[in-house]
Amino acid sequence: MAFQPALHAEWIKIRTLRSQIGGLGAILLATVAFATLAAADTDGEDFDPLFSAFFGVSFGQIAAIAFGTTAVAAEFQGGALRVSLAAVPQRGRWFAAKLTAIALPVLAAGLTTGFVTLAVGSAVLGEKADGFGTADGLRAAVGCGIYLTLMSLLAAGLTAVLRSGVAALSILIPFLLIVSFVVGDMSGGIADLLPDRAGQVVLHSTPDGALGPWTGLAVTALWTAAALAAGAWRIRRRDA
Amino acid sequence: MSSIDLRDLTKEYGRRRAVDGLTFRVLPGRVTGFLGPNGAGKSTTLRLLLGLDRPTSGTATLDGRAYATLREPLRHVGALLDAQAPHGSRTGRDHLRALAASNRIPVRRVDEVLEETGLAPAARRRVKTYSLGMRQRLGIAAALLGDPEVVVLDEPSNGLDPEGIVWIRALLRRLAGEGRTVLVSSHLMNETASFADHLVVLGRGRLLADTPMRDFIDARVQPRVRIRTTDPTALGKALARHGHDAVVHDDGHWTVHHARVDDIGRLASQAEVPLLELTAEEGTLEQAYLDLTAADAEFAAQPQEA
Repeated sequence: MAFQPALHAEWIKIRTLRSQIGGLGAILLATVAFATLAAADTDGEDFDPLFSAFFGVSFGQIAAIAFGTTAVAAEFQGGALRVSLAAVPQRGRWFAAKLTAIALPVLAAGLTTGFVTLAVGSAVLGEKADGFGTADGLRAAVGCGIYLTLMSLLAAGLTAVLRSGVAALSILIPFLLIVSFVVGDMSGGIADLLPDRAGQVVLHSTPDGALGPWTGLAVTALWTAAALAAGAWRIRRRDA
Repeated sequence: MSSIDLRDLTKEYGRRRAVDGLTFRVLPGRVTGFLGPNGAGKSTTLRLLLGLDRPTSGTATLDGRAYATLREPLRHVGALLDAQAPHGSRTGRDHLRALAASNRIPVRRVDEVLEETGLAPAARRRVKTYSLGMRQRLGIAAALLGDPEVVVLDEPSNGLDPEGIVWIRALLRRLAGEGRTVLVSSHLMNETASFADHLVVLGRGRLLADTPMRDFIDARVQPRVRIRTTDPTALGKALARHGHDAVVHDDGHWTVHHARVDDIGRLASQAEVPLLELTAEEGTLEQAYLDLTAADAEFAAQPQEA
């Protein structure tokens, strides 16, 4: 069986749920809303105008994670996975189709978010936006799209491993909102390699850790790949 | 035409054997009723057949092929396992559209099966507004989507209203009449008796019977005769003389066990007993089934280790 029909089916499943479409909108809204506040806190030694514009990604990523989680978690309710796998018994192919149907819309929403945020942030910051060049701005906008996509896939993989959306969110949300904020202040060392810390380097004008913008995203991609590999293994091995 | 073939199929969950060495075939052109109490292993067997669970040993194949190797399986096998599977926030039609897309089944079929199952008026409503009976119909619609040669339904009459039950009976008969292979699990005897030609009976994961339904009943239930008379004394004497075992009921009718109307009618006539009623009471599937499982319960009461 070809991949395309399976992808088509998974895409129909996503776009026919209002909550999923709403999730994509929430990525954009949450992120851009904070860009309008970018100029609110421009004091301090280490003021980073680029990151102050993209600060909202910390919240937009929650929506991206919720999107990936919901799409996979729906399969673990009421025997939905059995219906899906009876239609597409090649489990690896089915999971790949599911992930593609998650990744593509999040990437589109994430890139849109990135460029809108850049535009709004630059406008709000005014001349303070001169602190970063056009190239930095574009890099951050594209990086924002990639980062959000990786985070939604990380959540999708974790949900497949745990077979529960509630379990996946109750690990990821506290991790992102609390652990990373707290540990994040202790810059340097192992904390820089956490998936969100590493991936968000791309949103700063001057990377201050060991990781550069793209190597940072690569570290996040490794986390995501690990979660997806574990999820795929679980989907293939277990009785549905 | 396709047949289902189970060979020595076994599934263990931990140390418990849910399915224990099952071997049987399901042939096309007839409705096979898959009977057994709850927990007998019926649903597990169906999941193994659809490649959803992995057997501990043995095989389940369709025309010699494992389900998981089928290309576009919905075009070969349609299954209803759980009416609760469709997402509550999606419309019935969208649920079917996604399934159709996965197997490149034209959207036209979605509307056809919605029409066929009587769901067309509710097609664009969210599934969470559906009654259990409507969800059951949606599951059946999904099973019919790919116009499959093999139809497997797990407890399809569950939650259907009386009209729905009559409908599903006719549907199952029609599918078998078209030469399809139809396997329907149930724990309801009278319901199964109304549509099945053949029976596969499971108890504690093991095969208890695999026979035509009529044979199954005839082999287990002795014929009985129901009789009413204006002269009970004469009837009692006549029956006793021929060694018949009769029970008198409160409302005045008699039941003669292990007897046929031909014999009792002749006997009554010879003894000049006036009769008001003389009827053969056919065995029901329920009686035959209880007889079979009573034997199994005794057998299974022995300590057994999986």
